[in-house]
Order: sequence, then structure tokens, then C-alpha cells
Amino acid sequence: MDNAMMIGLSRQMTLRRSMDVVANNIANANTAGFKVESLLLENRAAPTAEHADGPSDIQFVNTWGMARDFRQGELAFTGREFDLSIEGEGFFAVEANGNEQYTRDGRFRLDAAGQLVAADGAPVLDADTRGPILIDAARGNVEVMDGGALVQNGEQIGRVGVFEIANRGEMSKQGNGRYTIPPAEDPADEPLAMLDPSVRQGFVEQSNVQSILELTDMMSVMRSYQSVSKFLEQAEDLNKRAIERLGRI
Amino acid sequence: MRALTTAATGMQAQQLNVEVISNNLANMNTTGFKRQRAEFQDLLYQNVQQMGMDSSDAGTIVPTGVQVGLGVQTASIYRITEQGALSNTGNPFDLAISGQGYFRVQMPDGSDGYTRAGNFSISPEGELVTTDGYTVAPGIAIPQGSREIAINAQGQVQALIDGQVDPQTLGQLELATFFNEAGLEARGDNIFLETAASGAANTGTPGSPGFGSIRQGFVETSNVNSVSEITALIQAQRAYEMNARVITASDEMMAASSNLR
Repeated sequence: MDNAMMIGLSRQMTLRRSMDVVANNIANANTAGFKVESLLLENRAAPTAEHADGPSDIQFVNTWGMARDFRQGELAFTGREFDLSIEGEGFFAVEANGNEQYTRDGRFRLDAAGQLVAADGAPVLDADTRGPILIDAARGNVEVMDGGALVQNGEQIGRVGVFEIANRGEMSKQGNGRYTIPPAEDPADEPLAMLDPSVRQGFVEQSNVQSILELTDMMSVMRSYQSVSKFLEQAEDLNKRAIERLGRI
Repeated sequence: MRALTTAATGMQAQQLNVEVISNNLANMNTTGFKRQRAEFQDLLYQNVQQMGMDSSDAGTIVPTGVQVGLGVQTASIYRITEQGALSNTGNPFDLAISGQGYFRVQMPDGSDGYTRAGNFSISPEGELVTTDGYTVAPGIAIPQGSREIAINAQGQVQALIDGQVDPQTLGQLELATFFNEAGLEARGDNIFLETAASGAANTGTPGSPGFGSIRQGFVETSNVNSVSEITALIQAQRAYEMNARVITASDEMMAASSNLR
């Protein structure tokens, strides 16, 4: 009887976590470069009392990992000079807290020193030098070519780095739309700048949250939670009746 | 439950978004106004299960981990400084900047302010001033009896003065540019102040490389585009509603738990 309660409880705990994930997706429905996430579950067998009992037929539910959907978000036209977006694979890199962080949010700007930076002032890295990109705005408008090259007055002044990350599963979210990856054991495995990325100037990549899917997810999470609650209630009822009957004998 | 606070951050963000949009719409007809845009980023993540940890004695590792996000935050409210349309007024003291740059004005406390709103007038002392009466630097004095005041694209102010045949040069306007215009602090009254983020003002003659030129008899209208503001407003409102739905759903889940005996 207790097992039934425990299994119900394990399911409710994962459902609550799923709800947290759905809420985060919906809260970020308007966040540029945001990638939708979902919770992955696994079943974990309850330990059996004796080995001879064979495999356990009782399975708990547990969280196993997060799945991120890196599908392309819609590109919204803004026409602004330093709104960049990537079509297809790759991430922009910025230097924050002394390490490289990766992002799909390309709403960049110039800071007081003329560096191309993200909203919090973290410099955007160049593909070739892997250092900050300096732009003298007084020399005219900057055009961003398809491959990420920055061209001012017909002269290339840099190339916005779009980096390819081999294993996106090991990316860890930092907030601020940024991801980090654990340092590679072999320096050759560090992310490399893509040779021919597809960069669009004047567009912002919208969040790829599809609100209708999130809302249906939310409803199914809520209803499952309610039905598990109902089931717990019945299990408890059964428990109570059993005690009453036994007491009568 | 985190979902409740997460949805609350979503609602707060959309509320701010609507506030920014309504300020843009309210200033649709403000001379020299530059529209703003609220930019959002995801908030921090809680590691429930760290990626890269050992998941068994055999040395297998957790490939993705479980990170639960805590909602959304405002990264910045960015001012988009693209050129507004120039509208013809015919008034000789209406000056518009076509291209980069700001007029420098002397604030009453002696500091410098910067503005793109060139709807100037003449003070009782004959000085070129803003609508609030602040002097436009470097100070152009227009003597009595001046006629046919002409300000050319390079900012040179000339006038015919009674009793003289040749036009007299009365002064030279200058413009200021900044590395990061979006870093200027808006003071209200169409005036911006220099900050550490904008960088120091770089003054120069209108029409020289890197500086816009001056158009007499025009004002720069605001660069607010009503259609894009309204679509942004619709998006913000729907996103707000969805976050409210999350709160209701989380509430129902909590009610289901609390109704257990």
C-alpha cells in the first residue's frame, strides 16, 4: 500500500518540476534567442528485498535530464545596424567573467570605447582573433555580410564569430541567454569559428517557444497532477478501510 | 512551486514591455523622440542534477543534467537612434539634423545637454534657444534688425542686417556625436545627458565626416512606427495572459495537493 503512495508522490514531484519548466518557457516567450526546453524522465526500479525475487515490478519516476530544442526561432526584422541573427547552426561568443560564453541572442551595440558588446557590456568575439571587435562609428555605417564579415566603407574591419559546438548536450545555461561548455580536455576540441556561417543583419531571432504547445503541455501536466492526487486519495481510502475492517475482527 | 514565481517574472516583464510601448506611442508626435525597446533575457538556472556527474560506478556520466530556469528578466531598455522623418515647417529656426549628431545646449545649472529636437526660437536677448529657453551652444546672437536668417547644411548662420548689403555671418553651430548613443541618459524635455556608457562627446562641424548636416525649416519627427508598436503590444498582451494561465494552473495543482486528506 505504501508503495502506491510513494509512486504517486514520485510522479507528482516530477510533474511539479515539469510545470516549472513549462512556466519558464512561457515566461521567455518574448526573449530573443531563447530555446525551448522540456524535462526528460526515467523510471527507476524500486530495490527488491531479496535477489531471488527477480526484477522489481515497482518503478518510480525520476527526472533524467533536460531536452533543449535548438530549432531555429523566427527572424524578426528590426532594421537596426547591430541586430544580428544566425540562420542555421552556430552560436555567437561573448567574453564574460573571464571565459567564453555562447549565445543566440544577437542584439549587440557599441560601448563607450567603440567595442561591439552584448546588453550587459560583454564584448562579442571576433572569429579570427577571438578578441573584441572595435568599431569607429564615425567612419560610417557597418554592413554585416552573410559570412559575418563587418564591412565599413568597403573595408573589412572584422568578422563576427559564429562558433560551432559539437555536443550541445553538455552546454549549461547561465541565464542572460548564455551557455557555457565545460573546458575541453584536448585544446583541439575547443569550439571553432565556422568558416561560412549565415549571419543576417537587422534581424533578431525570436524565442522558439510555441505558445500553443506550452499551453497544452501545461494543461496535461495539471490534469495528470490532479489525477495522481485522486489516486493518492483512493489509496489512502483503501488503507483506512483495511484498518477499520481488521479492527472489527 | 517555482512555476508561480516564474510566471510572475513573466508577467512583470510583459508589464514593463507594455509600459515601454505606451511611452513610445505617447511620444509619436514628439519632435526628435527616439523609440525604445525592452530587451529580455532568461533569468538564472537552478541545477537540480549537474551535467557531467558520474551516474554509475562504471564511469558513465549524466549527459545533459536537469537545469530548471527561474523565469525572465529585463536586460535593458534600448533606445533605437535611427533617423526620424524630416517634416517641412518653413520656420527659419526649425533645424533638423540629417545624419548623426546632437545639438549641444547649455543647461541652467551650467552642464551640457544634448538634443535632436531642433525646434528652436529666439530669446528676448536675441539668442538662439530651445523651447525651454536653454541656450544652444556655442551661442548664436542675432542682432536686432536681422532679416532673412539662413542656416546652411554646415551650420553657418547668416543674416541680412538693415543698412548693410552683404549677408553677415552670425555664428557657427556645432554638433556632438557619441560612440554609444544608446548610452545617453534621457533627462526628459527631449534632452539627453552624457554618461560613462555613452563616452565623451566629440564635437565637430555639421556636414564633416561622421557628422550629420543641418536642414533649416525642417523638424525631425519621432521615429516611432505605430504599426510595429501595435503588433508588439498585441504580443505583450498575449504573453501576459499566458503567464496568468500558468499561475492559475499552478494554483490548481496546489489545490489538488491540499485537498488530499
